[in-house]
Amino acid sequence: MLRQKMLRAMVATVLLTASASAWAHHSPSAIFDMGKRISVTGTLVKVDWINPHIVIAMDAKGDDGKIDHWMFESNPPSWYRSVGLARADFAKAIGQTITVEGVRAKDGTFYGYMQKIKLPDGTSHELVNSAELK
Amino acid sequence: MRKVLFCLFGFTIVAHGIAIGQQAGSTTAKRAGGSHPDLSGVWTYAIDRAPASLKTEVNGSVSVKAIDQSARHGDATSIRGVLQSTPKPSYKPAYQAKVKELSDHESKLDPVFYCGKPGVPRIGPPRKIVQLPTETIFFYEDISGDPYRIIPTDGRKHRDRANPSHYGDSVGKWEGDVFVVDARNFVEDTWIGEDGYLHSPEMRVIERLWKDGSNLVWQATVEDPVVLTAPWMMPPRLIKPSSEPLEESPKCVETDGAKLLNDDHHGQR
Repeated sequence: MLRQKMLRAMVATVLLTASASAWAHHSPSAIFDMGKRISVTGTLVKVDWINPHIVIAMDAKGDDGKIDHWMFESNPPSWYRSVGLARADFAKAIGQTITVEGVRAKDGTFYGYMQKIKLPDGTSHELVNSAELK
Repeated sequence: MRKVLFCLFGFTIVAHGIAIGQQAGSTTAKRAGGSHPDLSGVWTYAIDRAPASLKTEVNGSVSVKAIDQSARHGDATSIRGVLQSTPKPSYKPAYQAKVKELSDHESKLDPVFYCGKPGVPRIGPPRKIVQLPTETIFFYEDISGDPYRIIPTDGRKHRDRANPSHYGDSVGKWEGDVFVVDARNFVEDTWIGEDGYLHSPEMRVIERLWKDGSNLVWQATVEDPVVLTAPWMMPPRLIKPSSEPLEESPKCVETDGAKLLNDDHHGQR
């Protein structure tokens, strides 16, 4: 079941990363609506552990009852490796229900940037701004 | 005038090289073959990555893990032996408009953003160094692939018929305790920095690596008399040893480019 709602009317810190030389792949606002944080609950279908962003695919039921095919990109594999997460930590939930929070593409497609994922066992992983922790 | 500038630069390099050789690494670095400091080892990731930490919650217990960005963003300018650097290269007037144009449209034009090879010096210091008697090997991890450079140290000269490449044709030598890598013969389609910093095929890159205690110091100079008003001495990097082994980088599949709705520079919000 799709559970999509605006969580915060604030400028979210989207942490786009990519290249050898520049952590910011592009301006987040060039793709994503930074003023809305969304939450999507659905079935994890696929985990692509690729550069410059990992990508997860999930199916979630929309308000109209149809299945929406969502894709969420997130930080690159090297970043996840450095914080101790591997593809297997996400892939173990394929076929099960997860919840993803993030920001959605401005073009209205079912595409977003994942900032938080909640796995079936209750474990959650969230990208937080390092500067805000200091 | 150009000759004067480059002669002055050359003298500065030699003088600093001697100074570094006299200072650096003499007490802490183990030596390979007994004659030079051993730079071998695995070094902390020095590419630029998101300033993000991971907050994990398991059964109500919260932990936060940050990544080490010191090799990229630490201030190494006070490390002994570093040469005075500038944050940006200085372009001749004829190239300034082109650099600005590339920078203004960086998110759509920077090859690295689309899985391209960063080349030297943009790739920065190596993730792993294997120092052998007659050659030293640099290993890197990068989204474009995982390049390596085999750097002869047996006194040979640059190859006459080497094809231009992203990582150039390199030879290495020791100046005191400083390992100096001279790379040239580059393809033209890389940038030397993310803000549209183009270069010509005449570019030459001098990298200097030495030990500061258990850490590695890396500093590069870009010489390109075609486009630059003077050699660009890049800011130094101080790199800690790493226990994180190298891992094959997953393939790079860029899909964001087609979704960009404007030309915002990556630094903009």
